[in-house]
Amino acid sequence: MALPDAADVQVEVARFEAELARAASPREAQAARDRFLGRRNSVVASWMQTIASAPPEQKKQIGRLANELKQAVEERWRRYAAGAEAAARPAGAVDVTLPGRARPLGHRHPLTVVRDQMEEIFSRMGFALVEGPEVEDEWHCFDALNMPAEHPARDMQDTLYLASPVAGDAGAPGDRRTLLRTHTSAMQIRYMLAHTPPIRIVVPGRVYRRDDLDLTHTPAFSQIEGLVVGEGISLADLKGTLAAFARDMFGTGSRLRLRPSFFPYTEPSAEVDISCWKCDGAGCAMCKRTGWIEILGCGMVHPAVFEAVGYDPERYTGFAWGIGIERVAILRYQVEDIRLFYENDLRFLEQFPH
Amino acid sequence: MRLLVSWLKDFVDVPGSADEIAGTLGLRGFEVAGIEPAGPGDAVIDVEVTANRPDCLSVIGLAREIATAYGLPLRTPAADPDAAIALAAAPAGGADRVQVIDEDAALCPRYAAAVAEVIPVATPAWMAGRLQAAGIRPISAIVDLTNYVNVELGQPMHAFDLARLAGGTIRIRRARPGETIRTLDGVARTLEADMLVIADADRAQAIAGVMGGADSEVTGSTREVVFESACFDPASVRRTSRRLQLKTEASIRFERGSDPGAPVMALRRAIALMQQMCAGRLSGPIVDRYPSPRERRRLRLRRARVKLLLGATPPDAEIVRILEGLGLEVAAAGGGWDVAAPTFRVDLLREADLIEEVGRHYGLDRIEPTFPPAMTPTPPPDPRIARDRLVRRLLTAAGLSEAVSFGFIEARAAAAFAPDGGPDAVSIANPLSAKFDTLRASLVPGLVDALAHNRRHGLRDVRLFEIGARFAASGETRGVAVAWTGNAGSEHWSGGGRDVDFFDVKGLVEQICAALGAEIRCVPAATPFLVAGQTAAILGPQGQAIGLLGVVAPAAADRRGLPRQDRVVVGELNLDALDAIGVPAADRTRPLPRHPAVVRDLSIIVPDALPAATIRGTMQAAAADLKAPLAGTALFDRYQGQGVPEASVSLSIRLTFQAPDRTLTDAEVQQSVEQILAALVREHGAVRR
Repeated sequence: MALPDAADVQVEVARFEAELARAASPREAQAARDRFLGRRNSVVASWMQTIASAPPEQKKQIGRLANELKQAVEERWRRYAAGAEAAARPAGAVDVTLPGRARPLGHRHPLTVVRDQMEEIFSRMGFALVEGPEVEDEWHCFDALNMPAEHPARDMQDTLYLASPVAGDAGAPGDRRTLLRTHTSAMQIRYMLAHTPPIRIVVPGRVYRRDDLDLTHTPAFSQIEGLVVGEGISLADLKGTLAAFARDMFGTGSRLRLRPSFFPYTEPSAEVDISCWKCDGAGCAMCKRTGWIEILGCGMVHPAVFEAVGYDPERYTGFAWGIGIERVAILRYQVEDIRLFYENDLRFLEQFPH
Repeated sequence: MRLLVSWLKDFVDVPGSADEIAGTLGLRGFEVAGIEPAGPGDAVIDVEVTANRPDCLSVIGLAREIATAYGLPLRTPAADPDAAIALAAAPAGGADRVQVIDEDAALCPRYAAAVAEVIPVATPAWMAGRLQAAGIRPISAIVDLTNYVNVELGQPMHAFDLARLAGGTIRIRRARPGETIRTLDGVARTLEADMLVIADADRAQAIAGVMGGADSEVTGSTREVVFESACFDPASVRRTSRRLQLKTEASIRFERGSDPGAPVMALRRAIALMQQMCAGRLSGPIVDRYPSPRERRRLRLRRARVKLLLGATPPDAEIVRILEGLGLEVAAAGGGWDVAAPTFRVDLLREADLIEEVGRHYGLDRIEPTFPPAMTPTPPPDPRIARDRLVRRLLTAAGLSEAVSFGFIEARAAAAFAPDGGPDAVSIANPLSAKFDTLRASLVPGLVDALAHNRRHGLRDVRLFEIGARFAASGETRGVAVAWTGNAGSEHWSGGGRDVDFFDVKGLVEQICAALGAEIRCVPAATPFLVAGQTAAILGPQGQAIGLLGVVAPAAADRRGLPRQDRVVVGELNLDALDAIGVPAADRTRPLPRHPAVVRDLSIIVPDALPAATIRGTMQAAAADLKAPLAGTALFDRYQGQGVPEASVSLSIRLTFQAPDRTLTDAEVQQSVEQILAALVREHGAVRR
């Protein structure tokens, strides 16, 4: 055997540490210790033996190295043993890796998750959260929103009418509700009648349409309506508000595009596209290669609507919008079939936050 | 509206590809559904025209938009025979070949007609091609040229076989009660008295603005035709079209509002085309019944208002260019402009409409966004929103997931889960499907169906809740319902798994009510869809109906597709009613007790039919006379079996005594316990264990 030198001490100590680290049980650790410190056939013992055959001028040096190694290994072993003792199970110890005892947490519905997020964003922007009734009358749902009796939106194929009227709030006489609201915009009217500007509200809620149930349509869905009314409110403010919302909801890089459109209760009216948050406008499957995703309809409140609620349209201007919550949820969670939102399959629901 | 690009170019020399034109239209308010190639160098742009723009259901209408967008001149129809869109000279003189009597100028403000001898020719290929591109099937030269004019100028036209019109007369009148007509599609239709018809001396020959009649249809043997070019009341056409369920190229345009200024021009265009095709010869003057010509609408546009509404200041020159490009007459007048809107723009009714036109062509993208300053503090949210969030938190924390179902259900389901058989159910007058024909009076049936869905897909433990509107003739209320089947807790290595029962759901009900500060009690109740003896009505302090709780009857579960052997526990609360009885938490805290409480356990045997609430009541009544004030009672064990007589139950009750002002002595506590026991013995024959 070659005579050990100073570097060998470091090598052997490192080897001992590695063996201890690999030891899966106290027995294996003890065996490793014995391989280094045992009376026979151990590393330290073999170094001691080489003293006998070493040249006289080196005997002292080897003896010193062997001692150094012995002390270093003993020191490592003490440390290891102290740690192992701490890790040993005292009486009454439990297996902390066993599962805890708790009822599993339930999950919010994805439509609630999206709605909560939008409510939170608009609350922060100073919007009051308001809710309204789902059964409505023709005046609040249509007439007051500049949709006179012959308007196509009032055709039987769009609106679900009740076979018999339902009593309205607090059973006020004459308050007969005859249809399921087709949009949350009906609440614009109720709120404006009860308040004076300035107004800044969002109205989340369920709306109904006479639509068949298929991949992309449901006879009921949810919206968040927004309404801002005051003096000097402009379309620029509408853009600024929705742009701030889009950055919060869809990412700080979101851009907005307004395309003129038509709604009876806004003038001017626009459809709003948001730059695709998946491809950032480059064009992908989600945005049908256009780079834009249509997200909502909006516009400046039509003066006829202000007249219907007794506001002076010369003095007040305002804007309104309606966002489909299902639409946002479908895009955000990449849901292929809108019906999944209404099947209430736990395997689906459990994928959403608590 | 299917717009053929080469046809568009008759009106405006627009450069660029169909894609670019489509993009321009899209940003001006005309959504493009698709672009299809149509022969070499040509394409069809499928434009979605919004309901307010009937003028753009025509090539000329969209051409005007394109011309304005690109700042190009628009070629308008002209009497010059060499013009791109040539009009025939209006022939004057000669006797009318057809007598036109407009009996209803309200529903038919204008009716123009002209008679022509037919020369049998085939429709030229270019015209047939353009019609096909526009989605219209070519039929015969005369019919095709009327359709061509409709697509080109947006004025629907019709041609009658003059020989088939009795008395050579056209009479515009309301239908007679029960009057019938066989329309061009071969369907016999019965008309209603307020529908407008085009009749001859005897009977209806067309449904005004909707469809012509088969009897006066132009055929191969037609010698002379009457061209009709009219303006009908939009509401009347809409009503008629809807009631007959008959939607046509004509009705779509008329019901949105056609241009009262167009009928004669369209007729002259049709005559020019007829002459160009050698398809006929005019045989009389143009008859024009237009008793009260429609004035162009005059509107004022204020510069300051443009700035206020748009939040941008387009230059004056651009405002004028846009409005003039769209066919408006514009004259500067202090602070703005006086504007006359052409008769084809039925949508321009007030200043805001003009501002929209400016914004549309100025470009909404050029408006710099701003954020509206808040002028007042934000009012608090609707209290229902915070309440619903709290309930949702409680229930998700308790392991239930949130369901959302439609507001309506099938009548059968509604009836099966109606507390009183459901005479009160509100049904939908015009349901699209029997599955959704009744408004839900309860959230329970929707949840039971959701449970059934999950069980069908192999899930065993299903816990769902829903917060939503319920409907009855008395009004709309919001409720929360829970439905629970399977394990009461979760599978755990320490055991303890058991099936859900009545008290798991009652616990949820109690927690929700406690969180909303509402005091409730349960009383036994009976309802067809819940198991007898395991059903409770939830009442408020004054007996107000708050909700229902119980185990679903196997028969009811089975009807909704749930396995009969499943135990399903449901509960439902009227959240609005809970709000009414809820007491907000006190704003002031009580000082902590300064003297210790004394706890004594009492075990008694009582008949097992005795409600726990009655025992509680007896103890509380007895507490009034006690030396040691009773601070609380808690039932901590209930046992039946060995050592307890038949039909009896052993109850262990923990009594807590506490006085605010002193430490209770053993003696007074002992005496109080004896008094309570005495009351239980007296009232219920209780036996101390």
